[in-house]
Amino acid sequence: MTDTLAIGQRVDRADGVGKVTGRATYVADLKVAGMLYGKMLRSPHAHAKIRSIDVEKARALPGVRCVLTAADLDHVDDEPASRAHAVLAKGRVRFQGQPVAAVAADDVHTAEEALDLIEVEYEILPAAIDPLESMQDGAPQVRQRLVENDDSEAQAHATVATNEVKPTSNKPTNVSTRIHFARGDVARGFQDSDVIIEQTYHIPHVHQSYMEPRAALASWDHQGHLTVHASCQGIFALRAELASILHIPESRVTVIAEEIGGGFGAKIQPIIEPITALLAQKTRRPVKLVLSRSEELIAATPAPETIVELKTGAKRDGSLTALKARVVMDVGCFPGGPLNNVCLLAAGLYKFPALEVDGFEVLTHKASQAAYRAPGAPHGTFVIESQMDALASALGIDRMELRLRHCIATGDLMPNGHPWPFNGMRQVLDAIACHPAWLERKQAPNRGVGFAVGGWMGGLQPASATVRMDRDGSLMIVTGAVDLTGTHTAFRQIAAEEIGVAADQVAITTANTDSAPFAGTSAGSKVIYTIGNAVKAAAADAREQILEIASRELEAAPVDLEIRNGKVSVKGAAERSISLSKIGQVSTAIGSKHTPVLGRGTTTVTQQSPGFAGQLAEVEVDPGTGNVTILRYVSFQDVGRAINPTLVEGQMQGGSAQGIGIALSEQLVYSPDGRLLNASLLDYRTMTAIDLPNIETVIVEVPSPYGPFGAKGAGEPPIVPGPAALANAVRDATGCDFPDLPITPEKVVNALRQAAATS
Amino acid sequence: MYKFDFIAPQTAAEAVAELQNRGPGGKLLAGGTDLLLQIKARVMKPAYVVDLSRVGELAQIEDRSGEGVFVGSMVRLRTIQLSPVLAERSPILVDGAKLVGSIQIRNLATLGGNLCNAAPSADVSPPLIVAGARAEILGPAGRRSVSLDDFFLGPRRTVLRPDEVLLGVLIPRAPRRSGGSYLRHTPRKEMDIAVVGVGSAVTLDDGYCTAARIALGAVAPTPIRSVKAESVLVGQRLSTELITRAAETAAEDARPISDVRGSAEFRRHLVAELAKRTLTTAWAQAQGEEA
Amino acid sequence: MSKQILHLTVNGEDREILVQPYQTLLEVLRDEIGLTGAKEGCGTGDCGCCTVLLDGKPVTSCLVVGLQADGHQVTTVEGLESDDGLDPIQQAFVRRGALQCGFCIPGAVVMARALLNENPNPTEAEIRWAMAGNLCRCTGYTKWIEAIQDVVQEVKA
Repeated sequence: MTDTLAIGQRVDRADGVGKVTGRATYVADLKVAGMLYGKMLRSPHAHAKIRSIDVEKARALPGVRCVLTAADLDHVDDEPASRAHAVLAKGRVRFQGQPVAAVAADDVHTAEEALDLIEVEYEILPAAIDPLESMQDGAPQVRQRLVENDDSEAQAHATVATNEVKPTSNKPTNVSTRIHFARGDVARGFQDSDVIIEQTYHIPHVHQSYMEPRAALASWDHQGHLTVHASCQGIFALRAELASILHIPESRVTVIAEEIGGGFGAKIQPIIEPITALLAQKTRRPVKLVLSRSEELIAATPAPETIVELKTGAKRDGSLTALKARVVMDVGCFPGGPLNNVCLLAAGLYKFPALEVDGFEVLTHKASQAAYRAPGAPHGTFVIESQMDALASALGIDRMELRLRHCIATGDLMPNGHPWPFNGMRQVLDAIACHPAWLERKQAPNRGVGFAVGGWMGGLQPASATVRMDRDGSLMIVTGAVDLTGTHTAFRQIAAEEIGVAADQVAITTANTDSAPFAGTSAGSKVIYTIGNAVKAAAADAREQILEIASRELEAAPVDLEIRNGKVSVKGAAERSISLSKIGQVSTAIGSKHTPVLGRGTTTVTQQSPGFAGQLAEVEVDPGTGNVTILRYVSFQDVGRAINPTLVEGQMQGGSAQGIGIALSEQLVYSPDGRLLNASLLDYRTMTAIDLPNIETVIVEVPSPYGPFGAKGAGEPPIVPGPAALANAVRDATGCDFPDLPITPEKVVNALRQAAATS
Repeated sequence: MYKFDFIAPQTAAEAVAELQNRGPGGKLLAGGTDLLLQIKARVMKPAYVVDLSRVGELAQIEDRSGEGVFVGSMVRLRTIQLSPVLAERSPILVDGAKLVGSIQIRNLATLGGNLCNAAPSADVSPPLIVAGARAEILGPAGRRSVSLDDFFLGPRRTVLRPDEVLLGVLIPRAPRRSGGSYLRHTPRKEMDIAVVGVGSAVTLDDGYCTAARIALGAVAPTPIRSVKAESVLVGQRLSTELITRAAETAAEDARPISDVRGSAEFRRHLVAELAKRTLTTAWAQAQGEEA
Repeated sequence: MSKQILHLTVNGEDREILVQPYQTLLEVLRDEIGLTGAKEGCGTGDCGCCTVLLDGKPVTSCLVVGLQADGHQVTTVEGLESDDGLDPIQQAFVRRGALQCGFCIPGAVVMARALLNENPNPTEAEIRWAMAGNLCRCTGYTKWIEAIQDVVQEVKA
């Protein structure tokens, strides 16, 4: 590894001090003169007609400035194009928690009081809640008529081409998308198999559970220009959505990104910003609207529920023969889920000569889904990695050996016929294989070790950035990217490395949509991978301009100059130099012959560099209570190049914790009529500090030809292998399969009792 | 937040007077860790709350020597957790108190609040029932004392009348050669409501069990005694097999429901499992004392 | 009902404010006094983002009625730093990268400060138990533990 100035350094985050002191500002912290507080009245029923809404008493309550229903809004359809377009329910509600009215009042308590005074008459309708039932003919329909599907959500994370099957009939159906992949002769493959494993896997809805509930502050000026302070993952995406929903040109919308308290993919769809803007418009006052945690759990945008029937075959010699999968994905009441990702990973991580995958996206009367960190990938990985352990057992072959034998490599065909892009799946497996936690594992009663590997294709989006030199010679990156995870620090390092300065000479700011160069959403693990490239290009451009100015000042050719220690000097003649601060001065002084340094980078990366991650868990099971304790957890990830190891480790540990949560304790539990039964953080259980051990990290670097300095997207892969790693570890400890997530103590006890009864 | 009024009396008698004078529609506020949740959810809409945090007489732990130890209703659960007096005089209460919520919650939550909220899963209830504690109550008519066995009427309902204040509980001195233990099951290690809670205490005399008390939480509308399981043990020589039998009998006394935290069947299984573990610990403690 | 006067000391400064009887301490701190460090993550005491010290003890301020704090001392995250600089815990969190989105961090550093005030030499298990009431969705907690252990070592040295 060559010496680097900034790449690979553990540079402190510039936003760290603001965050540890409480000075960093999130939307809910904002207070402006004349500000009102918004609240929404939500349907208690999953599916119902709205017979009437009486808001008179609410409007009359002192302190209430505005009450809105769909009747007060233009452009609200009874069949909205997307969840974001469903600003307020018109005529019918299609999920518990759907907003039917909105209030703006002088204080939040009065707003809540006003909600109590709104009288809604519902006619409750049968609801389609269970996805398998919802798929059947005659199930209550979620859509009353078909509209042009808004697939922007799926696009944001649809990282591979889909094999969509067009519907053949016009019968109403809750199946909104069908896909199909096939290659080879699956029937023949199973006939030739010595061992066949068949299992049905179930992953329930989970919630992204960012610690900051959604919040928005909207205000209009006297010329009809809307400004929104948002907790969002993409300022340009939000601006575009608001313009579309409110039917105004984008140029009349300014989005300002405040600090965002976590998003994980959920804060891309604007489910509160439009109504907040409408309340502000109606009252001609700024309006702040903040969701409560129970609103988030009930009525936001959880990850989809997935049911996978998986059948895999192998021969006694360990060769794989065939794979057949049927994937049903419950996306709630609007389409656009990551069905494709589940299918591609379930069938595409290992080389099955014959495969057939059928996928069904199903609508139900539940809150519609949104992305959650590598959408679909934990599901696809969970099913195939559980199955690989089961195959290994049945064949009597070592679990690692079976995987190393059959794992895909760059160029192998994915189920959709496209070649796997350049990836490090094998290297991640190798890292696990030679780790002491694997090599030195011991058999012990009620203890087990399991591992799993999965990957994330990575999103692509065009990007731009500028790098400006200020009068004192310091550098400022101006970006439109929201800093979700610390990528701003990585950008500083990238720019610093490119120019030849220390990272602390580079600052960065996220401008608003009026002044920022375009950047896509901070999602899809594409921030460093794509926007980082734009930053690198902008820095390279700035460097050229710096050298150009220096060359004229020093009367030397740019190619003979170098930037080092804050100066530009002639190579081999260090006394002939000019400081960067001098360059800053001369390039901005009145009457100067030089032009200011403004580096500009516009890039589009068109090749993906999937990031693979592996995790290993050592667990102990209490057979009496079923509790699973994680004794040791090791997280492995190929990040291409770790721009900042501290940031990368943070992603690996945070993602691991989320994967463990999905494995052991997180699920949204709905009643048969579609009401959420665990609408608080007491009963929606995310991991606490005492539930987890130290998460050890092993960074693998298989540099990407396309990312800046070889980097690959690092944000999403670490959630992918957790559920499978834990299921495999508990399987190793108990001898039982756990295809049904989460692996609760009750399920462990039941599995052990069943095993004892049948043995 | 529902808009309530707030009164902060200085004595228990003043608190009673406020409840009397302001009439129905008021609630006593202790630590707020249950009441405020109810109010925020608009499940309760009290016109006023009477805050007890200024009533110093309710926040004491009093060693009443032969009689027992009195724990005031406003003693915080964290104080109970760290109390050297209670570590010695009622370790089973410490077992229960230390499990509730987080440190932040335990710095607010009170013994009285936990009892009077009367959730079937309350973690201080089985320990206090097993310890034979009595609730001391102040009302307009004066004081009265009620056994914890009789204190709970149903989920969120106790014998307290609307104008009464719980002063605290008197925990009698445990007989010599006794031991007691409380365990609960939760999916995570902390922060959860008990799926099942079991408190057990035994007293030995020359190896024979002369007294046994087993209380179950979260498996009935109120915390309950498992009298059948107790009778398996009393008068017998304790052994692992006998304890296992008693534990299985305790499961029969449980009347759990299935809800989002666990199925009835799993809860019954846990009752047996936790009864076994707590009885084993109680037995060892009692033996430790005996030797 | 009418507002009532609340007297309390916040970060060493005496305050007298008029509040509604139903405002929580969290709301009083954020909306009336303007100290927005403590956050509302859940409003039900389950996440710890609102943690402040009440007479030196860590509590979830979303479950404290503001008027209950009358006559008491409150320390918020803003009170951890002084003219001499950041609290060592704050410095350690930054150095270790023990934060990402930062929303849970004010509550976490206040809780960590309370832990070390009570127990200057905790084991890893004691640290994890103490911090279990502070949920974090970004970090997986490992770097928190490292940061707190750094401070323990610094003090010992």
